Order: sequence, then structure tokens, then C-alpha cells
Amino acid sequence: MFIYIARRIALGVSVLLVTLVVTFLIFFAGPADPAQSLCAENRCPAVKLEQIRTSMGLDRPISVQFAEYFQGLFVGRDITDGGNVNHCSAPCLGYSFHNHLQVSDEVFRRFPTTVALALLAMVVFLGVGVSLGVVAATRRGSAFDRTLVGVSQVFGAIPYIVVALLFALYFTVLYPILPQTHPFSDGFGPWIVGLIAPAIVLGLVTSTAYVRYTRAQMVDTLAQDYVRTARSKGISGRSVIYKHGLRAALSPVLTILGLDMAGLLSGTLITEQIFSVDGLGKLAITALIQTDDLPIIMGTVLLGCVIVVALNIVVDIAYSFVDPRVRLS
Amino acid sequence: MTLGSSAVAAETLEVGVDPELSDAAESSRRHGRTPGQIAWDRLKVDKVAIVCAVIVVFFILIAVLAPLLVKLEGETLNAFHPELINRRNTLPTIGTTAQHWFGVEPRTGRDLFALWAYGAQPSLTIGFLAAVSSTVVGIVMGLLAGYLGGIVDRVISWVIDFFLSLPYLLFVFALVPIVQNRVGGGRILTAEETSSLRFWVLLIILILFGWIGLARLIRGEVFSLREREFVQAAKVIGVPTRQILVKEILPNLVGPIIVSASIAVPGYIAAEATLSFLGAGLVEPTPSWGRTISVASGGNFSAYPLHLWPPVLGVALLVLALSLLGESIRDAFDPTTRR
Repeated sequence: MFIYIARRIALGVSVLLVTLVVTFLIFFAGPADPAQSLCAENRCPAVKLEQIRTSMGLDRPISVQFAEYFQGLFVGRDITDGGNVNHCSAPCLGYSFHNHLQVSDEVFRRFPTTVALALLAMVVFLGVGVSLGVVAATRRGSAFDRTLVGVSQVFGAIPYIVVALLFALYFTVLYPILPQTHPFSDGFGPWIVGLIAPAIVLGLVTSTAYVRYTRAQMVDTLAQDYVRTARSKGISGRSVIYKHGLRAALSPVLTILGLDMAGLLSGTLITEQIFSVDGLGKLAITALIQTDDLPIIMGTVLLGCVIVVALNIVVDIAYSFVDPRVRLS
Repeated sequence: MTLGSSAVAAETLEVGVDPELSDAAESSRRHGRTPGQIAWDRLKVDKVAIVCAVIVVFFILIAVLAPLLVKLEGETLNAFHPELINRRNTLPTIGTTAQHWFGVEPRTGRDLFALWAYGAQPSLTIGFLAAVSSTVVGIVMGLLAGYLGGIVDRVISWVIDFFLSLPYLLFVFALVPIVQNRVGGGRILTAEETSSLRFWVLLIILILFGWIGLARLIRGEVFSLREREFVQAAKVIGVPTRQILVKEILPNLVGPIIVSASIAVPGYIAAEATLSFLGAGLVEPTPSWGRTISVASGGNFSAYPLHLWPPVLGVALLVLALSLLGESIRDAFDPTTRR
């Protein structure tokens, strides 16, 4: 078990390291010139560009810049902005020259919001999706089953932005039934209450897929011989469904969940923008559209990757508890 | 010879044939159907599939006939009508009229029907182009990884795993300006040039992230197919690898490929709308449903919902119809479903 977890974490770390190198190369060795976006004038004079590059340290070799960035992540580093020297402590994700702020501060301030939204949504879609899927499977072919599958198919197919946007417009703006969102700095109460509406929408829309997965898996499992054996031994219907059926049906559902983490994060980002939740997604979108602030975008990409990889590891470990065969392979 | 007599001739011919023989011919013909023909026959009687196909054709017609329809309305795309805008609150002074079927845009007074009809064009183009291209890339990668195995397989599988653990929406955000700079060569572009450049950038990025699923699927299938006797036999008699892949293995994968491509199309259309909505997709002056939705959901929504609803219904209906059609195609290819 321990070896399995250790191997899983090692794989995750290797993916993270490669992502770090790739994002760094794309951003700082790529054709997008970070200096250009900082220049106030539209057609920036070459002299001024050169000045900005020198002050940001962009004129040095890429390997040196990367070593510095890498060092910053683990021990921190000093960054000069104009004449001032800022100490950026580990984990240092760089410096936004655009609004003169450290990327780490900006990103970590919003990190809890994004994670909380993702986890709340996960609670909703696993709870709703799995329980409705089980009920539909046990009443296979009934009117309830057919309605549920139909509704989940339709709502799962309509683009998520449309569903989320209409929900947000009608239930939090036009008829403010559900509470508005608040940043973390407004206090824990309003912050978590504000996350209810976005988490419900994201959770319910995501649950449409899980209803169908769980239902399909349960239908398969309940038709197995060992379930019939359990029934014939006189074990009560409820116990057969939950103890014998659900446990076996859950492991494929968890596989899907593991593969779905990147999708969940994307859903969270879209939800943040639509409900104007002050999280990583909104930060990245604002940085992209309004200011072209590459260090911020790179910081959110890295942190987003950490979230996806970490959640993947959690799901894989949970998976090995549900399905003991995984540990042996 | 008249039509009537030829029919009679055919009838006598039919009667002349031994009934048992004709039955045998009939049944051998039925057994000889390819999986594609079976699926097609099942699709033709699937009511959901037919309704969805009609909706999809409707939107394709809207996209193709957009210039004609807009001319019929007596409008042009992106023509400003400041005279129809209330100066104080920037809202239009009209709703739906004979001149402006869906009203006009707040602030600018552009005709919303023109924006809507032309907006179907990039949606459908991106959806189908991206689906076809990413399917081709996915097939090639999956075939190579699955058939060659060894180092090629390890590299491709690692790339697939890597892409799967990327937060792709964030990555797409980050890539849009960078790819745009690389393709555009860093020149300062006009609005039209930027807009058409963005279209291709979006397409490239969608393909970049879109081939993964099919490649995984094909790789797994090829793994089992390459050990089958007919492939081994072809190998033994010295058929070149390329021919084994194309002539022996690929025909066995037609079903999953068609299913995956038909499910990919609505996915790309939704992705285009989402990215345009978030500001990382198509830019002015190319019309886009996603961008119109983004603009319309702003401050003016409660006062002028007419701005929001046509693109919302457009993208929702089109993607829904294509998805359900894709599921019908999947069911039609799936021998375990009985419908």
C-alpha cells in the first residue's frame, strides 16, 4: 500500500516538473514578449523595450532565468522592479510587473476559494449523481428511470456556460433568491454562503454524467451471479444493493472521476467567471484579457496543475481502498 | 415500351424465380451487410436521430444562407444604426420589427439577426474542421502507438498522460496570445487580420487538445487487433506495415472512429462558444454566439433580454441536437443495444 502511494506521488511529481519546464519555455522562451505588454505605448520604441528587458532580467540566458525561477519556487529569491528590491519568499511564482505584486500572494489568496468551490461541487455531484444513479438502476425501466436518464442527457449536452449563465442571471441577479458571492476577505460566513449557488450549478450539471455512469455500472453489477447468490442466501434487498452492488459499481465511477479532475477545474474556472467568484479562474481570465500579465497566467497554470495532480492522487488512493486489486498491480 | 408493360415484365420475372432461391439470396445479402450499413439502417428508423438531424440541417442552412437571409431582411452585417439607440440609456428603441427580426444591439445598433445568422458560420466550421482534423491526428497517433509499440508507444502514451493531467482551460488561455504571436509573426495587425488569425489559432489549439481521447481508444484496440490471425497472416506473407495499418486494421475501427468524431463535433462547438464567451476565442468583427452571449449578459440584460436569447437558444439547440445525434450513432453501432 505504502509503495503504491509512493509510486503514485512520484509519477505526479514528474508530471509537475515537466509542466514547470514546458510552461516556462512557452512563456519566457516563446514568441510572446513580456516586455511588450508592459510598455505603455502602442508601438514601443526599441530603446525602451531594451530597458524593460534589462530591468526584468529578460536579457539573460534562458537557463539562468529558469534556474532562478526554479530556485525561487523552493528557497525564494530577490526580484528587482525598477529600483526596488523585493524579496519573494518560497514558493515564489514570480513577480507581476504589471501591478507590482508578487504572483504567489495574488494566487494563494484565491487558492482556497477555487479549491472550496471544486470540493463543494464534488460533494454535490457525487452525492446527487451516485444516489440518483443507484435509485434509477434499482427501478430500471420505470417512469422515474426514463425521465432521469432523459433529463440528465439533455442537461449534460447543453453547453455548460449557457446553463450556468441563465441560472446566475435569473437566480442571483434578476430574482436574487440565492446569495451573492463574496471574496474571502469579507469573512468566512459570507464567503462560504456565496459559494452555494455556483457549487449547486456546477455540481448538478456535472452530476448528469455521474447519474448515467453509476446507473450503467449498477445495472451491470446487479446482473452479476454473485449478486444473485447473495439474494438467494436471503440477504435483504437493501444490503445486497449497497454492500454487494454499490461497492463494485463505484470503482469504475472513481476511475471516471480521476480522469475528470482537469475537467472539474475547467468547470470551476468558468463558474467563477460567470458568478464572479474571486478565485484563480477569474484571476487568470482578467490577467489574460485586460492586462496580458504573463507571470500571473503562468502562476495560475502551475497551481492549477498542482490541484489537478494532487486531486488525481487522492482519487487514486481512494480507488485502491474501494478496489483492492489495484494495489497488487 | 411503356412503363406499365415493363412493370408486368418485372413481375413475371419475379414469379419465374424459384421462391426458395430468392429467399436464400435475400438472406445472404442481409448477412453480408457491413457494420456501417447496419448502423445506417438503425439510424434511419431512430426518431430522436431524425429530429436531431433536421435541427442540425436547419442550422447548417442558416449558416450557408446567412448572406441571403440577411439581404432578405434588408440589412448588412456590422452596419451601425445609432438612430435606433436611446442616447440616455444606450438601449435600442425598437424590439423585433420587419426590418430587424431580432432587434438591434444596445449601444451600437447593429442588427442582431445578422449577427446571429452569421454567428452560426464560425461555430459550425470550427466544430466540423476541428473534429475531422483531430480525428485524423488521433487515428495516426493511436495506430502508431498501438502497432509499433516499444519506444514510440511509450513516448505517445506519456504525452497522452501529460495532456490529461494539464488544466487544459488554463493552458488554452495561456496559449491563445502566444500562438497568435507566433502565427502572426509579431506584426501589428488590423482588426480583420487579428480576427481571422484568432479563428485559426483557436482551431489549432482545439485540435492540439482534442486528439487525446481517440488516440487512447485506437491504441487499445490496435493492441488487441495486431495479435489477431488475419494481421499475423498479412505480416507473414510480407505485406508492408503501412498497408497492414490501412487495409487490415483500420477497417475494423471504422465504428469507434465515426462515433468519436460525431461526439466531438458538439464538443468543439461548445468549446468555441465557451472560449469566445470568456474572451479567449473569436474577436470582433467575426460574429460569434459565445461573444454575443458574453456582451448580452452584461448590465443591459434585464432591460433587453432579446439580445441574449437568440444566441443562447442557437448554441444550446445546435449542441444538444448534435450530441443526441452522436449518442444515436453510438447506439446504432453498438451491437448490444436493441432499439
